[in-house]
Amino acid sequence: MRDRLTEALKVHNVEYVDIRIEDKTNTWVNFRGPDLDTIGSARTLGGIVRALYKGGWGYATFNDLNDLPKRVQDACETARLVGTGTTYFAPLEPVVDISTARMIKDFRQVPLAEKKALMEAYNRIILGHHKSIQTSNVRYADSFKQVWYANSDGTYIEEEIPDTNVMLVAVARDGDVVQTGFDWGGGIDGFQSIENFHEQARHAAQNAVELLAAPPVTGGKYTVVTDQILTGVFTHEAFGHLSESDFVYENPSMQEIMQLGKRFGVDGLNIVDDGSLSGGLGTHRYDYEGTPTRKNYLIKDGILVGRLHSRETAAKMGEPLTGNARAVHFQHPPIVRMTNTYIEPGTVAFEDMIKDIDLGVYAVRSIGGQTAMEMFTFSASYGYMIRKGQVAELVRDVVLTGNVFDTLMNIDQIGNDLGWEPNGPGGCGKGDQHPLRVGLGGPHIRIQNCVVGGQQ
Amino acid sequence: MIVQQIVQKALQKAQAVQAVMLTQETSAVDFENDRLKSAQSSQRTQIDVKVIVDGKVGFSSTTDPNDIEGVVSRALEAAEFGSPAHFELPDAQALEPVKIFDPALLPLEKPEMIRMGQQMMDMIKSYNPEILAGAAVSKTLYKVEYANSRGANYAADHTQFEVGAAGQLVRGTDILFAGQGIGQKKRAVDTEEIAAQAIEYFRLAEQIAPLGSGEMPVIFTPSGLIALLLSLGLAVDGKNVHLGASPLHDKLGQQIASPSLNIVDDPFVEFGPRTSAFDDEGTPRKVTPLVEKGVLRSFIYDRDTAGRAGVAPSGHGSARRLTNLVIDAGSTPYESMISGIKQGLLVHDFLGLGQGNPINGEFSVNVFLGYKIENGKLVGRVKDVMLAGNAFEALKDIVAISKEREWVSGPWAPLTGLMPYVQVGKLSVTAK
Repeated sequence: MRDRLTEALKVHNVEYVDIRIEDKTNTWVNFRGPDLDTIGSARTLGGIVRALYKGGWGYATFNDLNDLPKRVQDACETARLVGTGTTYFAPLEPVVDISTARMIKDFRQVPLAEKKALMEAYNRIILGHHKSIQTSNVRYADSFKQVWYANSDGTYIEEEIPDTNVMLVAVARDGDVVQTGFDWGGGIDGFQSIENFHEQARHAAQNAVELLAAPPVTGGKYTVVTDQILTGVFTHEAFGHLSESDFVYENPSMQEIMQLGKRFGVDGLNIVDDGSLSGGLGTHRYDYEGTPTRKNYLIKDGILVGRLHSRETAAKMGEPLTGNARAVHFQHPPIVRMTNTYIEPGTVAFEDMIKDIDLGVYAVRSIGGQTAMEMFTFSASYGYMIRKGQVAELVRDVVLTGNVFDTLMNIDQIGNDLGWEPNGPGGCGKGDQHPLRVGLGGPHIRIQNCVVGGQQ
Repeated sequence: MIVQQIVQKALQKAQAVQAVMLTQETSAVDFENDRLKSAQSSQRTQIDVKVIVDGKVGFSSTTDPNDIEGVVSRALEAAEFGSPAHFELPDAQALEPVKIFDPALLPLEKPEMIRMGQQMMDMIKSYNPEILAGAAVSKTLYKVEYANSRGANYAADHTQFEVGAAGQLVRGTDILFAGQGIGQKKRAVDTEEIAAQAIEYFRLAEQIAPLGSGEMPVIFTPSGLIALLLSLGLAVDGKNVHLGASPLHDKLGQQIASPSLNIVDDPFVEFGPRTSAFDDEGTPRKVTPLVEKGVLRSFIYDRDTAGRAGVAPSGHGSARRLTNLVIDAGSTPYESMISGIKQGLLVHDFLGLGQGNPINGEFSVNVFLGYKIENGKLVGRVKDVMLAGNAFEALKDIVAISKEREWVSGPWAPLTGLMPYVQVGKLSVTAK
């Protein structure tokens, strides 16, 4: 493949070109209710050529690999149609890097029958848990992706990306009330990462049953404590996307808002994006433009100190490269994305965080989040009221919303217990690129004056 | 045809086979931050194979036309462990003629698409040079081929055209995104109207209007109506019905919405964004009445779920995807809907839709773009406002439907269709 890519790159007549080829095989097993819903496997082979000329990009994406030089020509022609300005593109030392995946138990060697039997066992646990369990959804997915990348700087990278995950969903019903309990997990190091989820299956079912009797949270302003997973989602959604420079680099007003040196939070607040973190879900040695990944502080001691870049945004803003150009797959060019984003742990124990809260909400895990620059909203899977310094009754429909800048300033305590969201079928969405695997984490945090949606 | 070759090959071991092949070419141009940023050519191939072996189903797919052996053998392997087939493949049937291909799109090249995008950008910039403008134009030609072992054999050439314009305006820490887009199967499109509509969203937002919390009348724009239709879409999904997860599972023939509401799923709209004559299971499409005078009329079923539930498949594909939703126009002019409200909210776009428990109808969303109605007039954009309620209760509480309708479409719209403005009597609004 290296020779084919090198040969194809030779025909270019623009300022910069790169090619990325991916070959992915994936397998899935889905149960819905008592029955096997689908089982199957798919292979996806394809690539993208990017060409840069006078500040304009030309892309060619394809499944048919037969005539790579023609795809390069096509992208170059398109770039020359688009480009009329000045190119900003950070220079980079070429690298050659070939890495292979290491799995403890390679899921490609596990027979489909074994994958099915394991999911059937999880499914039986959910369905048999309680009489009010109405139905279930148990999904297994694995994928193994081989990537070949070459650019006109002389960089050549080969990478293997394995992924395994399970999603366990229990649906409970009582009359017209339907509630859902979730658990999920998996890993990038093989099939064993999803082999012992019997307890999680029980937990999902129990959660759905308990939520049937839980009242919806009353909407209003509360002191909110978020668990580690929700902290991770909050950090990613509410703040992380603002650090993606493609929102900022051609936008003078955003540059003013996201001015380095500005205070965003209390002294103890540190927010990091680290694509080089060992074992993280968003970890790569190099990003999708051949830039080495690294640990980037975004907020240090409450002050904005950095942001995330591609080669184009870094050059345009005159800031160092961070290694954050990523694409969900070959049908899209890389854009600025987070890798593993987290709040660094502080010193406060959970018990101390809640002990002086008279009335508050403890929001746990997440079933989704969305952001539009200053405004964010994210849903906890469930929550508990905090009453007189104690975790009290279970509540449902806990949706947190607000203005990012106000909310960050309102974080007044940072826990000592860093945790990460487990691997799952989801991921980050930006534009039409979804789902990109990212790491989300942090400790318990406490937010003052947080708006919790719901009926009043 | 490759699909027929696959059927023949798999029939050596399978009792029933179907193959679907998509071949697609797209050209697109993209303007970001006031300038032409990129252009793209895309070629796609996708082959899906479903087999039934000893009464069990297996599935596989590939993007590689040279991988016919591989895709067939993976489907056969999956069938060994597959679920029992609750369906039969369809026989060849006469298809409804549909308008899905506009030859006028064939000669459209990137330079002309760039000109269209530039024109929309220029209009937005001349309204307010401080708006960072963007635009996108894309043209797709695609062919869908279907073959199965009972002799059904269909092929359809489609065209698809997407045109949109959007902008971003930042004032202090206040950021406003708004835009307008259209997706259809024909070339004729009014770029000036698209840009003008995008500008209208900015014009209405020039003032920020403070809004207090409480219950109030809410008008959903055609795009905003998704907040209510999302739950309905999930609840009429035959799989959710069959599994008892849909709150409407036992409500067929019952009043579930205001008698003024009529919703039809119509796959035959001329050049409609999701128009087609057959689905990916070889089932001929048909018009499905979903809600008639507020009464629930149908659920939608793929072949397998239909077989399990003992009903007929509805022609919405293996993923049970609604096509073009057409909601009947009402009798109230949009202007008088607004002028009749003393204090209320017009909602267009949301954050957080689909989180929470959408199948139950419950929603609690951040109003991303909405306007305050005061004494019969739109007085400005609302900020930091949550709208909460139950979609099914809101559908019963519809007090007016507009005469005017607009197409809601585009690749990002979760549902596509011809929609009116809909006024709901009362919903709970929480303002910060």
